[in-house]
Amino acid sequence: MIRTAAAVRRRARVRRASILAFLAVMGPGIITGFAGNDAGGVTTYTSVGAHYEMMWLLLLSTVGLLVIQEMCARMGAVTGKGLSDLIRERFGVRWTIVAMFALLIANGSNIVAEYAGIAASLQLFGVQRIVSVPIAAVLIWVLVVFFSYRIVERALFVLVLAYIAYPISAFIVGPPWGEVVRDSVIPTLPIGQAALIAALALVGTTITPYMQFYIQASVVDKGIDRDQYRFERVDVLLGAILTGLNGFFIVVVAGAVLHPAGIHVDSAADAAQALGPLAGQQAQLLFGVGLFGASLLAATIMPLSTSYAICEAFGWESGISKNFREAPVFMGLFTLLVVVGALIVLSPSVPLIPVILVSQNVNGLLLPIVLVFILKLAGDRRIMGDHANGRVSQWIGIGTAVGASVLSIALVAITIVGAAP
Amino acid sequence: MPYLSEIQHRRVIEPNGNEVGKLADIAVVPQGQFPAAQWAILSTPSGEKVVRWGDLAQEIGHLRLRNRLETTPDAQLPPEALRLARDLLDKQIVDTHGAKVVRVNDLQLSEVDGQLRLVGADVGLRGLLRRVGAETVAERVAGLAGRRLPRGIIPWHLVEPLEAAHDAPAKTAAVRLTIPHAKLALLHPADIADIVEEMTADERIAVFQQLDLETAAEALQEVEPEMQAAIVTDLPEERAADILEEMDPDEAADLLQDLSEERRDELVELMDKEEAKDVEELLTHPEDSAGGIMTTDFVALPREFTAAQAIDELRAKKPDPQLTYYLYVVDAEGKLEGVLSLRDLVVAAPETKVSDIMDPNVLKVDAETPKEEVAALIAKYDLLGLPVVDARKKLLGTVTVDDVVELMLPRGWKKRSLRSIAR
Repeated sequence: MIRTAAAVRRRARVRRASILAFLAVMGPGIITGFAGNDAGGVTTYTSVGAHYEMMWLLLLSTVGLLVIQEMCARMGAVTGKGLSDLIRERFGVRWTIVAMFALLIANGSNIVAEYAGIAASLQLFGVQRIVSVPIAAVLIWVLVVFFSYRIVERALFVLVLAYIAYPISAFIVGPPWGEVVRDSVIPTLPIGQAALIAALALVGTTITPYMQFYIQASVVDKGIDRDQYRFERVDVLLGAILTGLNGFFIVVVAGAVLHPAGIHVDSAADAAQALGPLAGQQAQLLFGVGLFGASLLAATIMPLSTSYAICEAFGWESGISKNFREAPVFMGLFTLLVVVGALIVLSPSVPLIPVILVSQNVNGLLLPIVLVFILKLAGDRRIMGDHANGRVSQWIGIGTAVGASVLSIALVAITIVGAAP
Repeated sequence: MPYLSEIQHRRVIEPNGNEVGKLADIAVVPQGQFPAAQWAILSTPSGEKVVRWGDLAQEIGHLRLRNRLETTPDAQLPPEALRLARDLLDKQIVDTHGAKVVRVNDLQLSEVDGQLRLVGADVGLRGLLRRVGAETVAERVAGLAGRRLPRGIIPWHLVEPLEAAHDAPAKTAAVRLTIPHAKLALLHPADIADIVEEMTADERIAVFQQLDLETAAEALQEVEPEMQAAIVTDLPEERAADILEEMDPDEAADLLQDLSEERRDELVELMDKEEAKDVEELLTHPEDSAGGIMTTDFVALPREFTAAQAIDELRAKKPDPQLTYYLYVVDAEGKLEGVLSLRDLVVAAPETKVSDIMDPNVLKVDAETPKEEVAALIAKYDLLGLPVVDARKKLLGTVTVDDVVELMLPRGWKKRSLRSIAR
């Protein structure tokens, strides 16, 4: 009797310890999932949502995302090293240059998209981009260099919560669920340039190269080791589901509201109409706040994590507490990304919404390059030991890489053919 | 001196010139200061083959096997062996606290006593450029801009391969390198300064916290002026003041001049009274004048001293060697009267007055003389030092040849890696 009581108490203690251990490692996956809901995500999902034909691709991308995020988190926990660190150690200088160049271009185009998101959201409130973009760039630079981006991170997370409007809307609007389910299960092939652009943007925004570097760095920063990794797995799962669900509800709402009304998404105001049934006159406010928060958050984190990844790969001094003399490349790169991203958007001839979609295509095009590095590393038993990729992970990963490559090649081919006289 | 990146992937041929594969890697046992290349890993069409390094001869552009490949015996790598390309190249060099410093961009090899040895880790930009075959081009571009590409080589005996993470899946995947602080202290202060300049800011501070005061002071004197200021600014005040006290007053004054006024006053306040007085006096002179570079330590002998008394005085004071090149004779008010050498003093009869053996015609400068002029005088008359006096001929300090040697050399010469010459 006494022994039983002790056993119960012990079991309760173990369970409590497990919950605490889980809460302690929570974060990297969910935060990365949140970071995926940036300007590129919202805009792409909304404009793709004009029809449900891509639903199956969104589900497949989410599975791919989950598997790849899990690999990167696992690499972080097993090796204690970042992704660019591993690429450099395993593949040497030349391949590192290739990988870092791909990352720089992908993230650079994302930063342009984030500034476009800032400009588009503030335009809803009557602020012109010639005012909003420079102020945002200076604000971001000053906050990161003189304060801490963690403050920014926390403040902006609150704004991003505006996205909760989408799942709520989905039930208010009452979309044709039958159609949604059918399109989620039965694949329709994207034919034609417009459909391919939409498909690649969808894949590129769901599985960004950036997220893979970011989650691994977060796992390493948190000091999660292989014993705590089983808890981290849950976090990764939740993060990927969050990204997938977020995309799913935006597509559902946009498809139910915008498509029947024949609205083609050319501006943030068009996209905001998707929230009309829920918020009525306040739809623009709700959409604008969410887009602004998400864009500013990503515009802050993106240049920072890019600089960290590149300096880590080449062994250059990095750290935001250092000055230009101590860490010239790091600070220079960070500043350059902020300035160039803002400058491109500042030009009045650049259309905001298309720029965001193009940036997600760039991400989709470069994704296979980054995936090849991830798959080779996570499958390498010399690096990962018994934690190397199992057969299932490896095949889903290869499938994702092949799928993204096929879409990329098809789009490039059709564009060249289309451009030819 | 070859680098690993230059000989890796070289063709390997048989005695008859038949190509059998390429050099994939070189293996060493990490023992001793500069481990010797003991094995070569060849990549052949039928897979990797390990042979003893001695079975290969280095020739221009390729490596030649001494026997045919089939008759060359297979060698076994012992478990403690490290493969240079696989296990060391591209790895981080971390300090003992685990903070990053730099990355191994290339490995420097050298023929020592007829054996190819690992002598250094190239952590600089040059190594990175060499890996992508752009070193020569970059050097030329830098040359056009009138600059040289910086070298960044850490001598191998300062680097310790270390097995991190006991549970790492493969031992070699986790090899980390470290610069142990204990080893650092054994180096010449000038070498410590070179290494410290390559480190991260945090690591630098850690080193200056741990070195003994005297070594810390000497090493700090050798560090680039801008970095000196950064180090002294970041160190805890007490420690910074202690190190400044140990430094030559002229060096300390130069350094303090680069700091913010606030920080300078704080540090002078914390310093020992006497040292602080010397330094403050020096701070009143412009940095690039004789007064700014002179030291207020010198040997001044009262004119009525005998040779025997003078020698007793030297015994008691034990001045630094560079202060005994010249001994100055002053009157009761400290006015400079003459100069004599240690030799003059030693060969004179004990009862002779120093004023009788001194040379009354002393070449001297005033405190405002530009330092370039001081250097020119020292060079022209082959002097080891020059006295600095005020308007009333009172001796203020001396400039010794080591204070101006940098001004005499072509620009940038002192910063050139002297290790290759010294080795």
